[in-house]
Amino acid sequence: MSSKMGLKIMGRGLLPVLGVGVLLLPAPPVQAAPQHFERHFAVKGRPVVILQNVANGRIEVKSSKNSEVVVVATQASNKIGVVAEQAEERIDVTATILDNSAPANELEANFTLTVPEETELQLKSQTGLVYVEQVMGDMTLQSVAGDIHLKEVSGYIVVRTTGGSLVCTQCAGKLNFNSISGNAQVLQPGLSSVTLFTMSGNILFDGEFIRTGIYTMKSGKGTVEVHFSGNDSFDLNAQTATGTVDNQAEALLRPDSHGVRHIASRFTKGLFGTVGSGLAKVELSSYSGTIRILKRD
Amino acid sequence: MQCKEVEVVLEREGFVPVPEAARAHLSGCSSCRSLIADLTDIVATAHLLPAEVEPPARVWTSLRSQLEAEGIIRSAATRSGWLNFSEFFRPRVWATAAVGLLIVAAAALQFQRPTTQPTEARAYENIYENTSLTLSNDEAQLPAMQLAGISGMDVSLRQNLDIVDKFIIDCEQRVKEQPQDELTREYLSGAYQQKAELISVMMERGGSEN
Repeated sequence: MSSKMGLKIMGRGLLPVLGVGVLLLPAPPVQAAPQHFERHFAVKGRPVVILQNVANGRIEVKSSKNSEVVVVATQASNKIGVVAEQAEERIDVTATILDNSAPANELEANFTLTVPEETELQLKSQTGLVYVEQVMGDMTLQSVAGDIHLKEVSGYIVVRTTGGSLVCTQCAGKLNFNSISGNAQVLQPGLSSVTLFTMSGNILFDGEFIRTGIYTMKSGKGTVEVHFSGNDSFDLNAQTATGTVDNQAEALLRPDSHGVRHIASRFTKGLFGTVGSGLAKVELSSYSGTIRILKRD
Repeated sequence: MQCKEVEVVLEREGFVPVPEAARAHLSGCSSCRSLIADLTDIVATAHLLPAEVEPPARVWTSLRSQLEAEGIIRSAATRSGWLNFSEFFRPRVWATAAVGLLIVAAAALQFQRPTTQPTEARAYENIYENTSLTLSNDEAQLPAMQLAGISGMDVSLRQNLDIVDKFIIDCEQRVKEQPQDELTREYLSGAYQQKAELISVMMERGGSEN
């Protein structure tokens, strides 16, 4: 009995103390409410869509048969401002940071753009993935640390990254990639002009060399690897200053058939040759990495 | 007077001598002093170039397409002038353009004669030294800058700057040993260009303007 009474007294006495204690406890962090942004812009012809995402987050672009550009953004908080405006065929979308002191997880904005199949793109991202699929038109894609994945796109494609890598699958037209530490993978392309440069990343080209095409691939310290088919026709020039050339397709390479006598510089290790009739031009170089040439199975 | 107003004054009156109106601001603004120093370096380097050197048209075409690709200039079709002069005064543009000019100079030297002569090797050495010094000065300003925003990105930028720096050291060493190695010179020029662009991005993120 005395113990029950004791509990009651203790309960009465503790209640206000606990109540005050609860009030004094630091409030749990208020979760920033996600924000949703959606705009539809009617267009007539071939629009130009410009998106600059200063915040963290991914950008996804897909095409549709509709003559409109749909911009959907999901923001982690209201610390990011999204503005979209239209000037006839130009759609400008900008995400800006409104509060620089906000934690990184609140500074995220993900974008999904749905555009007509023929659209020009200028996308600028910081750290998130940029993904573009089935869009035809010139595009300039810039990213600092985010990767850039392109699938079935065509046009004059310019990609600039600092550390982000490029994966270009079934791309057509012309491709120009420049990066410091990003890798570049070009798979099953229909590209007539390819210029790839990375300072420390690796390069992989696996696909067909279009006749009359020009392909230049350079890596400062990384590997440059080219997989070609026996039906391809190209002149090859591979050079490295301090790296190595690993030619696994020696049987298919013949001396240059166009009368130009190539002499490797005495300061570099070089490989010249022709596959087929030598219609395309392929120039590979690496300052200190490995250049690997092999025939696809 | 603010930095932007100084740019307008420089645009209007030039920088030799520094206009009276801008002097008071310059005494208290390291960013604008650095701009004047860069301009002076560029002009001085340009004067060192042999008068008969005319870079091939394709060098200009290449430089122009690079600047267009970077969004620094727009094509004539979309803009009346090749480059809006006030925009040209943006620090980022200057850092890139300064190195671009030096690289054009190097390219001009390369195309002047089929083989590299000792005097040309010295000219290369001067250009590379100037470029390296300009970039090092710019880089030295970075630690003091308050880098704002997403820290992961700043880390990435720093890591990449480190990669570029190490690569440049490697190439410079080889160019010293083998001044006639064109492939290495090509990589070194590219590395300078990338470093200039990277520093510009970092400066912009750090808010270089007053």
